Amino acid sequence: MSLLNTLIPSRRGAMTKDDGEAHPVSRPLFEIDETDAGYGVTVYLPGVAKDGLEITDEGDELRITGRRASKMPGGLTALHRESSDADYELVLTHDSTVDTGKIGAELKDGILRLALAKAESAKPRKISVS
Amino acid sequence: MRLIHYTNPQALSVAPSAGLGGRLQLGDIEDQIDWLFGSALTGFAGAGRGGQFPVDIFEDKDNTYVRAELPGVNRDAIGVEMVEGSLFIQASRKERTGDAESSVSFNRLVGIPDDVQADKVTAAYENGILTVTLPKKEEAKPKKITVSVS
Repeated sequence: MSLLNTLIPSRRGAMTKDDGEAHPVSRPLFEIDETDAGYGVTVYLPGVAKDGLEITDEGDELRITGRRASKMPGGLTALHRESSDADYELVLTHDSTVDTGKIGAELKDGILRLALAKAESAKPRKISVS
Repeated sequence: MRLIHYTNPQALSVAPSAGLGGRLQLGDIEDQIDWLFGSALTGFAGAGRGGQFPVDIFEDKDNTYVRAELPGVNRDAIGVEMVEGSLFIQASRKERTGDAESSVSFNRLVGIPDDVQADKVTAAYENGILTVTLPKKEEAKPKKITVSVS
């Protein structure tokens, strides 16, 4: 599968923020769609608003961090919990198959859609036979 | 003693969710088995694949809050109905895979305490999370009773 060779998510445990404490993170669920021109990544981030979302591209790693804006304030008793309060973190590795200058992102209703254009070298090329 | 039952949506635990003295049951045993089957076959119990989504229940002294994680559903397609003792949540989301467009629908029946003012229930949908606020009946709120001892 060509997809495995290109975008490979890596596993992380807890991440340490600036205050030195370890914050638990959970990996959000996501889907990747590949077309000839690029990749579409859909990441499910319920509870994350635009100001809690951070997307950074470092080297060949695309890192998506989301802080939940809807943590329940104190004073509330939990009767039944199925979701967790952990922040989301997703790291996708690509080896220069993605043109990082052209990444489009849209966050709506807790779903982040990324449009990643393939780098020129990764696009299928027709070779003509003389 | 208060019992808070935590469920890890990504683990396949066989333990049934605990009721609080019969007050709160998250569906009956059939619903729980359906949920286990759903999460076993799809492997994504939390995302909403196969019609399942995580639900939290909180309370303070005035209200009970039911919170459901429903990213990307159409606002007009969200339905919240209250039947005696339960809240029925349904929602649907349009998905586009390539050129085809399909619709995924979610629904879930959640047990809620009986002491709810049915006509004052409100719901809000923000950032993919639906929060239903159920105000408690006056007589259900904790009240201070002063006792004078002669």
